[in-house]
Amino acid sequence: MRVKTMRRIPYLNFSALAALAVLAGCGCGNNAGTTDTGTTGTTTTTGTTAGTTGTTAAKRPMPTAPGNTAGDKIILGMVASLNGDLKPWGEDCKKGGELAMEEFKKANPNGIGGKPVQLVVSDSNSAAEQGKSAAEKLISDGSLAIIGEVASGITAQIANAAFEKGIPVVAVGATRTDLTDIGANVFRVCYTDDFQGPVMAKFAYEELGKKRVGLITDQKQPYSTGLSNSFRDFFVKLGGTVVDEEFYNSKDTQFSGQLTNLKAKQPDVIFMSGYFTETGPLARQAREQGIGKDVELLGGDGWDSSEILTTGGDAILGSFFCNHYNNKETRPEVGAFLNKWKAKYHSEPGTTMGALGYDATMMTLEALKTAASLDSKALRDSIDNVENFPGVSGKITLKGMGGNPHKRALVVKLTKQGQAFAKAYEWEQVIPTSGGPSTTSTTQSQ
Amino acid sequence: MTIALHLVAGVEFNTLPQQLVNGVLLGAIYALIALGYTMVYGVLRLINFAHGEVYMLGAYVALFTSYFLGFRPDQYPTGSTVANLLIMLLASMVVCSLVGVAIERFAYRPMRGHSRIASLITAIGVSLLLQYGGALFLPTSPPPSISEKVNPYYGQSKTFALAKPSPALAQEAEKLRPATESAKASYQAWLSTHPDANEFELPADGKALKTTAQDTERKYQDAKHKLDTGGVNLIIQTGQAVMLIATVVLMGILTYLVLFTKAGRAMRAVAHAFDSAALMGVNVNSIVTFTFVLGSALAGAGAMMTATFLGTPLSTFYGLAPGVKAFVAAVLGGIGNIPGAVLGGLLMGLAENTVVWLGYSNYRDAIAFIVLIIVLLFKPGGLMGSSKVEKV
Repeated sequence: MRVKTMRRIPYLNFSALAALAVLAGCGCGNNAGTTDTGTTGTTTTTGTTAGTTGTTAAKRPMPTAPGNTAGDKIILGMVASLNGDLKPWGEDCKKGGELAMEEFKKANPNGIGGKPVQLVVSDSNSAAEQGKSAAEKLISDGSLAIIGEVASGITAQIANAAFEKGIPVVAVGATRTDLTDIGANVFRVCYTDDFQGPVMAKFAYEELGKKRVGLITDQKQPYSTGLSNSFRDFFVKLGGTVVDEEFYNSKDTQFSGQLTNLKAKQPDVIFMSGYFTETGPLARQAREQGIGKDVELLGGDGWDSSEILTTGGDAILGSFFCNHYNNKETRPEVGAFLNKWKAKYHSEPGTTMGALGYDATMMTLEALKTAASLDSKALRDSIDNVENFPGVSGKITLKGMGGNPHKRALVVKLTKQGQAFAKAYEWEQVIPTSGGPSTTSTTQSQ
Repeated sequence: MTIALHLVAGVEFNTLPQQLVNGVLLGAIYALIALGYTMVYGVLRLINFAHGEVYMLGAYVALFTSYFLGFRPDQYPTGSTVANLLIMLLASMVVCSLVGVAIERFAYRPMRGHSRIASLITAIGVSLLLQYGGALFLPTSPPPSISEKVNPYYGQSKTFALAKPSPALAQEAEKLRPATESAKASYQAWLSTHPDANEFELPADGKALKTTAQDTERKYQDAKHKLDTGGVNLIIQTGQAVMLIATVVLMGILTYLVLFTKAGRAMRAVAHAFDSAALMGVNVNSIVTFTFVLGSALAGAGAMMTATFLGTPLSTFYGLAPGVKAFVAAVLGGIGNIPGAVLGGLLMGLAENTVVWLGYSNYRDAIAFIVLIIVLLFKPGGLMGSSKVEKV
């Protein structure tokens, strides 16, 4: 039925207007995009081959700038996402950092070398550009090192700014593999994506006994594409098959088309490498499409938010994902950390970034204590020599690692009460290392 | 060559009916939002870029209404009724209408006498204001979402068997069942004698039982999946069916209002010739307000339904992507033309799902713009629009 209701006089050039609309859209979207936006030319695609981190030294140029020297007091800067999409992670990171600082001050009342130490926290607003300017401000204020950020995209910008000034960066939760290639000033206290992909693949194949995987990837996020690739490579190496890979874009709302395809390929497990914001609706819609509970949903540390239980509802319960740390672990470090946290904040950390922020700050402080002199360059060398640092989230060794510690990873299960501990994997259990110092795998839980 | 092979290999023909239904459902929502763009354009010759933000606010209103009804993140009442959904729908539509009217009154009306580009920039300004300003007042972090518990239809679906799988497949699955059950039972028995065992850190004997249970279970599940996909099934989720029916009803009401009421006739007159209509005694301002009420209410309804039935987390950028897609749908159908917007929306929904069906879900967003470019090349006014060039 063609109802002639309105006469319309077309505007001069519709295509131009359409283009304008798209441009307007993109302009806003970029600021909203929180992670992995705007990385540098030096960082190319996410590495998919596992276990190559020890040999990337050639890609890590040494900064030539002199960096900062401590004045009357020693300033350490932290950039955290205190507002915006990553707020829950950023807030925990800040709390963890401040807890570590308080504890360090208690243990070292005279500071380091007679100088008091101070932690200055600055907000990145979950945006890469603002993170960069926050870091630049901290550096010009005399910060010896920058601790942060929780996401790779923001960290990449901070790392670039810090490289020019010769300031070391200790990333908290940035897992993108090629991040440390930016320069020899970049370190992290978390594992990389080419570890958590294999961990989940091994778990799915060996513990869940699944052989046919379907992948769902957020093609807008380099984090997600990299993670899907590392999962796929390892799963295939173990002997499994990848029956299908479907794509979506961050902020998509309707996934029925992709899920219909996926269901037709009969996977017995589905790996969703994106962030929790899309994973929740994906899980809901998957179950509504009739993908039964016997097909488990798996993911990476992008799922780590209590909000996933609201967005996913009952559909997401019983799923597994890879995380850095879990409140319910029985290792003594975790218990001690939780007691300190509860005494200060009267609650448990909601995300894993509390523990990682604590570890990053504590490790930097300890490295500062053993540094040859109180300046950025000596601190960088000292961080580069960290061996067997007993972090809450596991042992951290940076010596000879090119900035990427061989951390342990946890697989956790989503239950109504939150994240339940399922299994811990040491690096060597998943990826047999040939070179580099091996961390002792004595930490075991349950 | 390889592309062609992939094309054939990746396609599952028995999912086509399902994908077409998916496409219609997706397109119906695009159409609902596109109607707002097209009506405002028809009357004011203005592209209301803030329309996507009205949609965003509608989703938030639905969220707050669901909180008000007791479905807060920390506590859910058990069971929900259709009345809850209707209350949320009405709240979203009413608030969106008010917001739409306010935007027109305070942002667009003062610019009406000025050049069209000034109005356009104002529209973009309002859009940005709501996106970034809204973040000051609305909860965005962590992004909240409407609980699925508010949806009484959640998880319900009706399966229509368009073609039955061969009975041999059913027999095969049935044959595997006893072995699966006995393997499972022996693993469960082992677990009950070892209550402290962690499922994922088992000693060798438990692990062997678990592996056997998993291996037999997998064979059984594979057979069952084969049975599921052996025929052609059409799964209609009740929630999506409700969404589609609601959309059709709303469009019916809109058609009635535009075609058979006095205000509708006045609206068409204003769209036909703005100044002449004013000279003939049509109260142009109230007609423009009426247009914004209709368009914004439809956006509110669309937002409430997507936010509730699809479970997407909300942010102040929630309306951005649907807004752009719906705008493309409006242009595709011929902006200013009401049936055109519906046609454009449906076409885009179908195009997107067809691409996904072909196994190219990574080009899902691109296809919308490819279709747009192709249509505009041959019909610059859009599918149902006139291609008269405007005199400036």
